Amino acid sequence: MSRLRSYSWELLLTVLIFAGFGWSSTLSPYFLDAVNLFGAAAFFVIFVFMVFGQFPIIVLGEIDLSLPSTLAVGAALFALLGLAGVPLAGAIVVVVVATAALGALNGALVSRFGLPSLAVTLGTAGAYRGLAYLLSGSAGLTGLPQSYTALGSMWVGIIPVWVVIAIFVGVLFAGLMGFTRFGRQCYAIGSNKAATRMAAVPVVRTGVLAYTLGGVMAGLAGLVWISQYQSARGDNAEGAILFVITAVVLGGVSIKGGSGRALGVGLALILLAVLQTGMQLANVPGTSQTLVLGSLLVVALALPKLGQLTRRLRRVPEATARRSMGGSGESGFQTDPEQGRRS
Amino acid sequence: MTTLSRRTLLGAGVAALATGLAACTTTAPTSGATGTADKAASDVKIFMAPKFTGLAYFEVARKGGEEAGKELGINFQYIGSDQPNATAQIATLTNAVPQKPNALVVSAIDGDAVAPALRTARGQGIKVVTYDADAAVDARDLFINQLSYELAATTMLDAALLNSPSGGLVAFISASPTAPNHTAHVTFMKQHIDTNPKYQGFTYVDTVQFAGDDATKSQEAARNLMQAHPDLKVIISSSAVSAPAAQQAIVDAGKAGQLWGTGVALPSSVKDFIKNGSSRAFCMWDPAELGYLATIAAHQLVTGKIQGKEGEQIDAGKAGTFEILKDGEVQYNKPLIFTPENIDQYDF
Repeated sequence: MSRLRSYSWELLLTVLIFAGFGWSSTLSPYFLDAVNLFGAAAFFVIFVFMVFGQFPIIVLGEIDLSLPSTLAVGAALFALLGLAGVPLAGAIVVVVVATAALGALNGALVSRFGLPSLAVTLGTAGAYRGLAYLLSGSAGLTGLPQSYTALGSMWVGIIPVWVVIAIFVGVLFAGLMGFTRFGRQCYAIGSNKAATRMAAVPVVRTGVLAYTLGGVMAGLAGLVWISQYQSARGDNAEGAILFVITAVVLGGVSIKGGSGRALGVGLALILLAVLQTGMQLANVPGTSQTLVLGSLLVVALALPKLGQLTRRLRRVPEATARRSMGGSGESGFQTDPEQGRRS
Repeated sequence: MTTLSRRTLLGAGVAALATGLAACTTTAPTSGATGTADKAASDVKIFMAPKFTGLAYFEVARKGGEEAGKELGINFQYIGSDQPNATAQIATLTNAVPQKPNALVVSAIDGDAVAPALRTARGQGIKVVTYDADAAVDARDLFINQLSYELAATTMLDAALLNSPSGGLVAFISASPTAPNHTAHVTFMKQHIDTNPKYQGFTYVDTVQFAGDDATKSQEAARNLMQAHPDLKVIISSSAVSAPAAQQAIVDAGKAGQLWGTGVALPSSVKDFIKNGSSRAFCMWDPAELGYLATIAAHQLVTGKIQGKEGEQIDAGKAGTFEILKDGEVQYNKPLIFTPENIDQYDF
């Protein structure tokens, strides 16, 4: 029973996804069509890469605002290498190394030197964006070789290849955060950094690693961009950060760190995709779309607090009865590492 | 969980992915859903997608499109996101295609990135007309260009001359280095100042400022320019957001009368400046008529009245007749210069 309760957020998201499906299909007669739905899903793949790249960083209790800029650097690098005739495999190696370095720089500044991640990554977001403009030039880059763009026009049955790969990425991160030492260390650091350091966990190394992984994911999202949009420009994925953070937080990952599961993040992505696609198929005006997505984020932040509040109210008589025994009856909802890790 | 089983799991996952990918095809799946088969006039559906919604310029163009829609008796819809970025517009266009409109009228925020979505639309028989900002040539049938880049450049220089007849130092504020129209405008302006005797009184600051169609950034850019170049005479911007913002910064700095702002602007946004004499001229074209022409052209492509070939004529009624040039470009080319004498005539 308590195990089921620990999944209540994921259950709620699932219910919301079904409600979203119902709502969207009443909004637009074009919504319930498998081919269109999978086609629309392909659009969200670059976000999937960035969202899962952001996930361990937020679990650490930090944030990375520079991922969309890193994507732009990755896309520009892929385009340049493609135009220079470098085979795709070689380009992937170069981009992974380069974007890992960009991520590691963030990680070093945040974890090694203890600078606030919000400010650091806001700065590097600007710097990396500038780098992307320098690389891609004022006119942007087009005319890429077919090998670079092929994945963007391939399907497994009716499912775009990138959607299949995106699902794989989700599973990979579920494994990484749920079953590895790295994952456990991320949750521990996010719950209580000082105590984790005392326990001889390599706090700095884990932090740098999480940011490096985030950079690589954004760099690979650059390949998705290149193959889907067959071009690269300095402003690629500008403004995407809002969606990325909304998805992670809506997925039940505490913005303060220490809790949240890949399953929730994946479900949040599906929910956001369903709602956005439904509203766009119904030509809902842009401002209303932003309003709906923004409200969803606020509700996602408020709901756990509300749940806590009602539980506390219900426990008041019980707590009074136990006060003589010294138990408070209130456990930290967001800061319990065990809670987050349970998968 | 032990390391061994973890590895086994990962291996199994990779194997599953590989098997899945081995079954790849390169033929796009087609949707089973069919649109309305009968095509009465009222069933013709045309969607207009601006770069993003909420900007006054595009809302005026929308009115022109709606007017054309009403005259033709077609189903006209205005679609789009209020987020000014390429991903948002790609999402809009991707989701427009399944609704099977007969034509899309688009102002492309990133002409290359939206091209695949537009090609998909064309592949399904949807006619694509770009207006205001073009997409890759093979991704659309027609591009309705408001002013040829060179005409836009000379019109802005003419407006600059009206402000500062004796010439002087000019600086440019552009939208972004990735906006091809803005970049071309500046290039042509520099070229004309260098070579055209009419504008020989001008010299220019070579470095272009970029303000991304953002009013605050434009004001900041204007302030920086004033600081760096005390002898500056004119700030020209081809962005309808930056031009009035730069003029506002000039007024705020108390430099009105010594330094002039001009460029492309909606008349409603600069009426006060022109009325109180802090600027003598701004320029633009009629965005409503541009939207009207683009919608009429899209409709004629749908009905088969035109094919979109070079040399064909588009009869757009009250807007006039326009010839299709090379690469499907149609030049609207009706510049307007707003001065104290005529600004009251314009209500957009």
